[in-house]
Amino acid sequence: MNAGSFTIEREDHTIGNILRMQLHRDPNVLFAGYKLPHPLQYKINVRVHTATQSAPTQVYTQAINDLDKELENLKQAFENEKTRYNERPKLGY
Amino acid sequence: MDRPAAGVSYQRFPRVRIRELKDDYAKFELRDTDASLANALRRVMIAEVPTVAIDLVEIEVNSSVLNDEFIAHRLGLIPLTSAAAMAMRFSRDCDACDGDGSCEYCSVEFHLAARATDSDQTLEVTSNDLRSTDPKVCPVDQARAYQHALGGSEPFDTAAAADQRGILIVKLRRGQELRLRAIARKGIGKDHAKWSPAATVTFMYEPEIRINEELMETLTLDEKRSLVESSPTKVFNIDPNTQQVVVEDPEAYTYDDEVIKKADAMGKPGLIDINAKEDSFIFTVETTGAITAYELIMNAITVLRQKLDAVRLQDDDGDLGELGAHLVGG
Repeated sequence: MNAGSFTIEREDHTIGNILRMQLHRDPNVLFAGYKLPHPLQYKINVRVHTATQSAPTQVYTQAINDLDKELENLKQAFENEKTRYNERPKLGY
Repeated sequence: MDRPAAGVSYQRFPRVRIRELKDDYAKFELRDTDASLANALRRVMIAEVPTVAIDLVEIEVNSSVLNDEFIAHRLGLIPLTSAAAMAMRFSRDCDACDGDGSCEYCSVEFHLAARATDSDQTLEVTSNDLRSTDPKVCPVDQARAYQHALGGSEPFDTAAAADQRGILIVKLRRGQELRLRAIARKGIGKDHAKWSPAATVTFMYEPEIRINEELMETLTLDEKRSLVESSPTKVFNIDPNTQQVVVEDPEAYTYDDEVIKKADAMGKPGLIDINAKEDSFIFTVETTGAITAYELIMNAITVLRQKLDAVRLQDDDGDLGELGAHLVGG
């Protein structure tokens, strides 16, 4: 089994929790968790266990890429939705 | 165990539907994602989307009843139009002025001069008395008054009239004077709440309310009425024609469980079933006016992506050297 732990400086629950949840979506991840060791220390620890054919660094990078693409997608969705919303009165709804 | 090969994407494709979009208010539905992402967006909107606010005040004359620090604090809390904030530099990493906050890339200068003349009338010093050196950055109510003057045909409502008075800073009595220079800087809500562009950002799970119609038929009209009234918010109603209990406004439900307890107490468990759809959220966003609600949402997504980019491993195992190769091999 592969285990890894990452320290992310200058991040908190905002990144920690989305990263953890995204890692959980990956079946190669056997365990993923994060903790904020101390409220006055601006850092988090992320711990990942993976199956043998994978690696913590690999699933970590994959999770970040997936989240980034999801947000890129969300931004596009918002832009499209705003266009639709603004055109609605003209269509006579 | 059968596990998929490495490098498979588990990306989601969230959907959005805007219900209402005004300058400083937005209500929208966000679907096909989870609470962690919804909460990350909320947190970023409140604490990490940058705006511009007064951060340094040099008082030249202050003979008002409020002390210098008090006035400086009040000036800081005035929302300034911040559409340009995303493109501005933080003065701490501005190389044009070494962070002393006096260059055009990271700061905007304001001047205020007011003196109560010798009449007995008290003079109200407001945000309208602030003079900006950059037309892009000014108190939001000044900007709104200007917009209002441009589109003069717009109906003049009372809310707009209240806006035109500006935000009160201090009142001056006969002979008192206030003269100062202020520097506004880019910042984020995490450093000080004055930089937060968000008035409120909330999200809730979309509720799914099901009525067991068969069981509901066994209730008398009085029982139906007391069931409808057991909910503290107006979620249910009785159809005046059919006398059936109908769901009037599922989103008014506050997950208080009162109707479910009522149904149990009436000896009808399972009469009403309420589920939170865990991949479906209803957001409400209100801004201070520093940026529009739409800008706030878009900037939050941009900021969150920048944060994700910053936590990437240097170059895919590169910094781990031999250990990295060993880890991938398993």
